[in-house]
Amino acid sequence: MSAATPGDTAEKPVGIDPRGPRFGASITSVLLLIVVLLGLTEPLGGDLAARATQPAALLLTVLVALFAWGAFAGIQKHPYGALYRRLVAPRLAPPTEREHPAPPTFAQLVGLLVTATGLVLHLLGVPGALVVAASAAFVAAFLNAVFAYCLGCQLYVLLVRAGIIRSSTSRA
Amino acid sequence: MDAPLALIVIMALVALATALGFMVRARTVRAAAGCGGDEYQLVVEGAEVTLVQLSSPVCSACVVMRRVATELVAADPTVAHREIDVVDEPDVARRHSVYSTPTTLVLDRDGHVRSRLIGAVKPADVSAAVEAARKELVHA
Repeated sequence: MSAATPGDTAEKPVGIDPRGPRFGASITSVLLLIVVLLGLTEPLGGDLAARATQPAALLLTVLVALFAWGAFAGIQKHPYGALYRRLVAPRLAPPTEREHPAPPTFAQLVGLLVTATGLVLHLLGVPGALVVAASAAFVAAFLNAVFAYCLGCQLYVLLVRAGIIRSSTSRA
Repeated sequence: MDAPLALIVIMALVALATALGFMVRARTVRAAAGCGGDEYQLVVEGAEVTLVQLSSPVCSACVVMRRVATELVAADPTVAHREIDVVDEPDVARRHSVYSTPTTLVLDRDGHVRSRLIGAVKPADVSAAVEAARKELVHA
């Protein structure tokens, strides 16, 4: 298909405002930085209950839940997306381009895997797991928020091209 | 770890992420020399310079690049723009070591790939690549 054909799906206002996921990523990156700071200043808890109730672990649990929301409900249904559409988008000019929701949704899954792994290892008592996972997720969220470079989206495109995952794009 | 040291660590983390961001930006949007030979069959009939944009279906920078190229073509009828979907036709992308979309091949009238524009390149840089492709190829 030629993307320039009039009436093609690419010409209709489908897709999402790419600034929405970036807005979400900026909130996420600040929260992840707080997790890293709290994780660095707190000693690793003695037992599972102590480790699970540390402020760093509690905040990371919230972030894991938010990533799971974005990954399984889709990026459009993410609470940050609703916040963006209600509070931020009305104050901005309409988007000059739109993007497909599949790559940022996949990126949420990548974020979920990284943060959930860190949280589980932390609960099992692995020292540094929480800080390392939160730092890695922070770098990815920061690149998305500040540089509009979505690492998870790049991964999605590579995996689709390699035929490992199927694109959900309807292709005429 | 005490609080001042932890603050220094997170500042270093932010600095690292910023440095990575500039490195990524320098790599994802740039103009590179042509490689991988000629593409006679892709030259648009009658055009002095043909921009062959390699795009993928989910790619917002491709939309930006398409707009930049379309505006250039509207202003200058000697330039043509065509788009190839790398999923439908992976051969062109393979021949030119295209790892990211959009990558735009700048072809002169003989089909020589004079340069590759990687990412959503600024309009001024696209024009510069087009002007360079208009000049006769100097054989060493």
